[in-house]
Amino acid sequence: MTRSAPVTLLLVWAALAGITLLAWWIGAHHGSGPLRPQAAVALSAIAITIVKVRIIMREFMEVKHAPPLLKRITDAWLALFAVGMLAAYLI
Amino acid sequence: MSSNSLSSAPDDSAVRGASHTHPAPVIPGQPDMWVLVMIEALTFSAYFVVYTVWYRFKPAMFLQSQAQLDLRLGVVNTLIMLTSSWSIARCVGETRAGRHRAALTYLWITAGAGVLFSVLKVNEWRTMAGQGFGFETNLFFSFYYFLTGMHLLHVLVGLIMLGVVFHQLTNPARRSRELVETGATFWHMVDFLWVIIFTLLYVMR
Amino acid sequence: MKGTLAWRWRHDPKLELWLAWVTIIVFYNIFGIVFFGMTRTQPPPPPWWDHARIAQWFSDHHYGLLIGFGIIFVMGAFAAVANALIAYSMRRMSVSPIFAYSYLIIYSLAAVPGMLLTCIALVVGAMRPDRDPALLGLLYDMGFLSFSGTMGIFLIGSVIWGIAILLDKNRVLPKWFGYFNVCNAWTEVVVATCCINKSGPFAWNGVIAFYINMVVFAVYTGVFITYLKKMIEREDVLQLSF
Repeated sequence: MTRSAPVTLLLVWAALAGITLLAWWIGAHHGSGPLRPQAAVALSAIAITIVKVRIIMREFMEVKHAPPLLKRITDAWLALFAVGMLAAYLI
Repeated sequence: MSSNSLSSAPDDSAVRGASHTHPAPVIPGQPDMWVLVMIEALTFSAYFVVYTVWYRFKPAMFLQSQAQLDLRLGVVNTLIMLTSSWSIARCVGETRAGRHRAALTYLWITAGAGVLFSVLKVNEWRTMAGQGFGFETNLFFSFYYFLTGMHLLHVLVGLIMLGVVFHQLTNPARRSRELVETGATFWHMVDFLWVIIFTLLYVMR
Repeated sequence: MKGTLAWRWRHDPKLELWLAWVTIIVFYNIFGIVFFGMTRTQPPPPPWWDHARIAQWFSDHHYGLLIGFGIIFVMGAFAAVANALIAYSMRRMSVSPIFAYSYLIIYSLAAVPGMLLTCIALVVGAMRPDRDPALLGLLYDMGFLSFSGTMGIFLIGSVIWGIAILLDKNRVLPKWFGYFNVCNAWTEVVVATCCINKSGPFAWNGVIAFYINMVVFAVYTGVFITYLKKMIEREDVLQLSF
């Protein structure tokens, strides 16, 4: 039965780790300017969260091999989460 | 005969009416575990929406307090969690292939990562508390301790689950692929909950 | 037709179980009307009010509190029947009776801090409106903190029922409900934050410590009432098939 081969799992890990480092770079305070809330940082963080969680669900939790209902439920939750966060941040 | 759980597919659904390269879609482990996963996902997302709303109410205080967090430690913890997810996924793969000794090795890695994460987290709290930042310091720190604390409770339950999986894997009579997969689903949830916490608590501002 | 109460009454199956189940419905309805409608103690008023405002609250809700909680004093014991039915579900399971007994012991104690202490404290406060406001403040805190802050009992109870369901081989209740019990147990921990915060989302009336928790608990309650009903229905079918 086809499930993810070990190489695939390693690549998934590498991708997630890479995105983590990207998030770190985005989140680190660059320069000595005053602390400010930054829309670019916030929106990137929200986007990164959604992307990483979706990858974990699709690849590690094998949702990509699951019945369509589970795919729809998990994507629906992610969409709801994204909308909720954006609404909370922007309004 | 009707089953009380959500699972109606037998273990080897790949054989049932499916071709070699396209196995029938199936949820690994007990589908019931996904009920827990989705409840926790919804609950944590609600917590974060509330957090964001309060951040917008008091941006200066939240910003200042958030700056006290050690981003590097957050990154390290995230990498540990991601690695533990990878290792439990490998464990499931090895279990499916019948290589139980290898599966156990990956299980140990997962458990080890979970313990390491917990130790680092408790240490982080002690450092914060040592600097004078407690749960009651301000609302940001209430959220910080609450979110990471609740998450740690999930890690601890996860370690118990891994213990159950270990108990199953070590005895040929008890081995259950379904249980290993179910435990893995739980652990991946623990991982993605942390990913949410790291990116939204430590990074988002 | 088979599932109706009328049929049940005539064909004399496990009638006692059905009566027990109906008392759950009755209890939660009374609870809802009293706590949400008459006494207005749910959703709880804020912890950060000063003594003068608290005294005002007691005065505003004087009759609601006295009558509403008077009703609870009389009928609150219905909760015992609900818990007996839940313990019974565990006796039907393949797990040791220890689970059922522990659950019964815990919940027979749970009503004291979980509900009665609140009722007593607030009734005492309402009884003499001219009491020293500082004392009223004390009774107010005691009432609301005991309701929200003593969740350890419900936490352990949820864990016991959850583990029993997950270990059970007789499939009395669905496995996903066993996992739901674990989720409910986590939410009981969330409430503990209200012992520290007097305002904001972690206060006893906060979005996180109260409202989100209540949503999870309400769904959980609805689910277990439904599944206990299904359990009894299956019992009847099994019994009558002889």
